Amino acid sequence: MPSIVELTQSLVTGVGIGLIYGLIAIGFSVIYNASGIVNFAQGVFVMLGGMFAHSILTRYGLPIWLSAIIATILVAAVGVLVQIFVINPRWRRNAPLFAIILATLAVQLLIEQIVILTLGDQPRTYPEFTSGGPLKLGPIAIPYQLFWVLGVGAILVFALTQFFNRTPMGRALRACAQNREAAALLGIPVERMLIVAFALSAGLGAIAGILITPTQYTAYLIGTPFGINGFIAAIIGGFGSPVAGLVGGIFLGITQSEAIVFFGAGFRNIISLSLLLIVLMFFPKGLFGGFAKKA
Amino acid sequence: MAADTTNLLTVRDLAAHYGHIEALRPTSLNGGPGEFVTILGPNGAGKTTLLRAITRLIPSSGKVEFKGQDVTKFKTNELAGLGIIMVMEGRGLFSDMSVKENLQIGAYKLPGSQADKDRQLDKVFTLFPRLKERLTQTASSMSGGEQQMLAVGRALMADPKLLILDEPSLGLAPRVATEILSTLGSLNKEGLGILLVEQKAPLALKLAQRVYILSSGSVRAELPTHEIKSHHDLAKYYFA
Repeated sequence: MPSIVELTQSLVTGVGIGLIYGLIAIGFSVIYNASGIVNFAQGVFVMLGGMFAHSILTRYGLPIWLSAIIATILVAAVGVLVQIFVINPRWRRNAPLFAIILATLAVQLLIEQIVILTLGDQPRTYPEFTSGGPLKLGPIAIPYQLFWVLGVGAILVFALTQFFNRTPMGRALRACAQNREAAALLGIPVERMLIVAFALSAGLGAIAGILITPTQYTAYLIGTPFGINGFIAAIIGGFGSPVAGLVGGIFLGITQSEAIVFFGAGFRNIISLSLLLIVLMFFPKGLFGGFAKKA
Repeated sequence: MAADTTNLLTVRDLAAHYGHIEALRPTSLNGGPGEFVTILGPNGAGKTTLLRAITRLIPSSGKVEFKGQDVTKFKTNELAGLGIIMVMEGRGLFSDMSVKENLQIGAYKLPGSQADKDRQLDKVFTLFPRLKERLTQTASSMSGGEQQMLAVGRALMADPKLLILDEPSLGLAPRVATEILSTLGSLNKEGLGILLVEQKAPLALKLAQRVYILSSGSVRAELPTHEIKSHHDLAKYYFA
């Protein structure tokens, strides 16, 4: 039986990784709600965020905050390109949704290969944003980077909630999610809204990647596990509001972390996938119900 | 063919297919500025298809002009900017959003300041006072009649020049349907052009100046409403 200290320490770790899953889940939800598309390239945006930030940091010697901003913008631009060159042509031809979803999977593999060819296959990392640490609370160690993840996560969720509820563009995105034809009839440019959704979603993925890289590492292959876990978090949250995505992520992160303490690292995915099945059995609409509303 | 500048809306030989099925045969119609035009016809006549083709929700052949400008190649959202707004069949409300949010989205293309949008909101509240009482309620929690009021109110938030409505009385109690259609009549008297598709012929005929009768995907007749004296007259065209 693990000790209280081990449990608490894993709780801290779980919250940290869960917040990252949450940000990825919000990215999934933004695109899904605007279009019905599950973007399986979401994980690759996480990988690109860390890779771009590392490259800018090491090649040009820019401060981390500036590298992070530039990397986020670049990844958002990649998201826009994916929408314009991969999604939109199929969207306009009324391609079946599963064909578009498959195209996003192809994008993930394509970008991974491009990264191997241009940036290499070696893992890379950079220092935490605040040096020193971790913060010691008795036997519990809290890395400073966790406070960055917490702070940035909270700010982003607040900003996104305000954006979706209080700005014309945010409301227009929600309108497209609920009834694309009615939205278009009122003058909302639905295709342009989809570009905004991809930019936003890619930017969120990039921020998640930039935040997590100092505590782990980034490499061309991290997109898939982060994408899968973010997708699970989105389903648990119910593909709904930003808060729902974040709660789904924290729930998943804590469960995985505690599963490692109780049963060992090999059980991490078994426990998280079992959790997904249980949640879907008792809450088929996700914890916050947005999934079924859309479906 | 020269552009028609006297009409608000001119539709020439508009035809649409669903796959191999011809849903709308080449159809022409027009509506003058401030005119109330009704399209009548039995189920499956192609009325909704015609409206969806005019608003570019479905691909079609033929030509659509608005105030003499060819808008055939325009996208649906661009038509709203010109002043063409449609209330679709089934209302098309954003059901998880509040009444206020639905109305705010209605003003998406309305030019001007927030004060202009607030003035437009006041106009809508004058027409449909019940919406003001339901402002924070979600659209899905309202009654059918209130939802239709919201759908029309939301369309009016865009300050349209031509309001297109697809069966606004569908599923409503006769009293509520009459109330909503009467409001449309008042708006028309203030100069708003209206193109109405309706199955409740008596109500529509009271308000419209001109009527098109559509059957089996094509226009069977175009006539001033005062020439239609009875249901018998209509049936003659429906089944001609």
